[in-house]
Amino acid sequence: MIPRVALLGNPNTGKSTLFNRLCGLRSKTANFPGSTVEHQVGRCVMKSGQEIDLIDLPGIYSLMLEMPESRLCADCLDGRVGDGRPDAALLVLDANNLSRNLQFAASALRRGLPSVVAINMVDLAERRGLIIDERAASQALGVPVVAVSARSGQGIDRLIEQLTRTSMSSATPHPNLPFPTTEPGSTASAVWAADVFARIAAHPDEKNDDRMTIHDRLDAAFTHPLLGIVFFVLMMSLLFASIYWLAQFPMEAVDGIFGWLGNGVESMMPAGTLRDLTVNGIVGGVSATVVFLPQILLLFFLLALLEDSGYLARAAFAVDRTMRRFGLPGQAFMPLLSSHACALPGIMATRLIPNHRDRLATILVAPFMSCSARVPVYALLTGVLFAGRPLAAGFAFTGCYVLGGIVGLATAALLRKTILRGPSTPMMLELPDYRLPSIRNALTIAMDRGMLFLKNAGSVILSIAIVMWWLSAYPKSPPSPESVAIELRAVEVAPTDPTTAENLRSQAERLNERTQQSGSFAGQLGTICQPAFAPIGLDRQLTVAVLTSFLAREVFTTTVFVLAGAGSDADGEDQGTLATVRSATRDDGLPLFTMATSASLLIFFVLAMQCLPTLVVVAKETGSWRWPLLQFCYMTIIAYTAALFAYRFMP
Amino acid sequence: MTVAPIRIPLSQLARGQRATVECSALDSLPNEHRCLLAAMGMGEQCEVRVCRPGTPCIVQIDRTRLGLPHGIADRIMVTPIESTSP
Repeated sequence: MIPRVALLGNPNTGKSTLFNRLCGLRSKTANFPGSTVEHQVGRCVMKSGQEIDLIDLPGIYSLMLEMPESRLCADCLDGRVGDGRPDAALLVLDANNLSRNLQFAASALRRGLPSVVAINMVDLAERRGLIIDERAASQALGVPVVAVSARSGQGIDRLIEQLTRTSMSSATPHPNLPFPTTEPGSTASAVWAADVFARIAAHPDEKNDDRMTIHDRLDAAFTHPLLGIVFFVLMMSLLFASIYWLAQFPMEAVDGIFGWLGNGVESMMPAGTLRDLTVNGIVGGVSATVVFLPQILLLFFLLALLEDSGYLARAAFAVDRTMRRFGLPGQAFMPLLSSHACALPGIMATRLIPNHRDRLATILVAPFMSCSARVPVYALLTGVLFAGRPLAAGFAFTGCYVLGGIVGLATAALLRKTILRGPSTPMMLELPDYRLPSIRNALTIAMDRGMLFLKNAGSVILSIAIVMWWLSAYPKSPPSPESVAIELRAVEVAPTDPTTAENLRSQAERLNERTQQSGSFAGQLGTICQPAFAPIGLDRQLTVAVLTSFLAREVFTTTVFVLAGAGSDADGEDQGTLATVRSATRDDGLPLFTMATSASLLIFFVLAMQCLPTLVVVAKETGSWRWPLLQFCYMTIIAYTAALFAYRFMP
Repeated sequence: MTVAPIRIPLSQLARGQRATVECSALDSLPNEHRCLLAAMGMGEQCEVRVCRPGTPCIVQIDRTRLGLPHGIADRIMVTPIESTSP
């Protein structure tokens, strides 16, 4: 049986950095049964080969607060959730903020679990002249104490050793230690912590200095009513422009690898259904989604750097003032920011918003935030709209995020003034120190999210790609009389003019594929629903793509490739996935993606609720199908109307 | 004759000014806010330094910086401390 260790601590103690340092990529995101507060479970492998499962719990200030994450941590320690009581606890304290952290440690140690205390960020503390006496700390707390730096790796080996010993033993903290019986923040608790601090830490007297520090100046700038917002918009624009610029090179490489793979498979397999399924269904379908992996990795990498730098907490305050005007609380900032990665964790994170109406409003507007599943669609359509103009495409890309945000906030204001009228809860937040972000930590986070995306691509998206290929490949249609006539002509002219004959054959092939597409199940489905989408400029193929993307938005590019891309290789040249989709044509031979159609589709995807899993989670979180139904109808109407305007007014 | 210390709302302190949070300073706040502030470090008799007045009101307690909305800072009563810097 692998021992389970709960990782516990105040927010901003470097708990997740320590978790990533101990577990690396051997972790997965999970929820306790009956709970939607997200946590990570990772496997830490010791030098001896011994394994430990580490449960990274949410950062909390007290186990007694009436907050969902506090209740979850208390329930976990008491064995009321998950697989029973953990075998041990690893308490992470910030060496630079020991007085407060010690109070939390005391309340956690009172639970009686075998524990190890890691005093983190000792490198920063030592720079301030603060020296921690591990032995004295162990005596005061009654459990092993190790001074570490999760960033640099200092003390990590000793911590692992200690963790192995403690998780295998049943030694609990000494019951007679004089821990305060009151909760963190009380006078008794503060007095006890001050006494322990004096015994375990040698530190120089820090003179009270009332002059403005560099931290004060940065805080003043980043939370300024105007400057803070300007800086936030600039930061986000820079973030997304970087993603657009930097990702294009690895994207081309991924595209090339899949092209090479498709050609290889094509040359090795005999012509027929199986080759068609492998090349066009599996390789083509998955490549159309996986090609956007570099953008996903970059987004999470840069967001992790920003969070680690301490800027995001200030940004929450800069945005809070604006959000209040729309009736949303400051606490909605993080769920909405998370929704930019995926609406599912974002909606689940709204459990941290105490006010019911605030929470409901945040849930209802979260899907307006542009999630990572929309990134492939945005990249494709902005690329079509601004081909060869990466700067303009980058601005359009940012514009999609801004549009989603604005409509989301306007919707929130509408909700809070109508069906969700009532007071909201003020935001109180700890602002972590500014620091140089950890590249290693950001890389681990980005890799973790990237793996999640790939797993999705390997399961859900692969299945949809195969189903889409089948829907577009069956039933088989006979060649059209027109294409038969062209092929006959090609045979006639072949001896005298081989070039013309080759062109004629390509033309006949394209006609056959078009006949096959319109006669297939997918074509028939598109034909039935197309009249409803015609006003926003969608033809049969795009209608099918929009309908199938209801399962998962990123499937849109896959569907377009499978439906429209198979025939565009007829000229014999190897085109990339993006180029193939861009050059796709309608049944009448006109380009599939015109300026007006691309703009209309882009706006539709920014605003529409094209995500079945999100609707299911909203129903679960709100306890009723009434809210997701309202959300779906509202978002669809808004998206359709906006797309209609875009289609009518675009040249 | 003893002069009672002057108690003013936290929101009225200037940038860089220090003050002590009094026992009953948080009494006017709802219980959940009071408990959270205490757990975050703003307990009885703690010393605060204003890093940024206004909204948000950013205060430093020991090594912790807290951002508070004006409405909350307005309801926390503190006793200003005379400046010691030259």
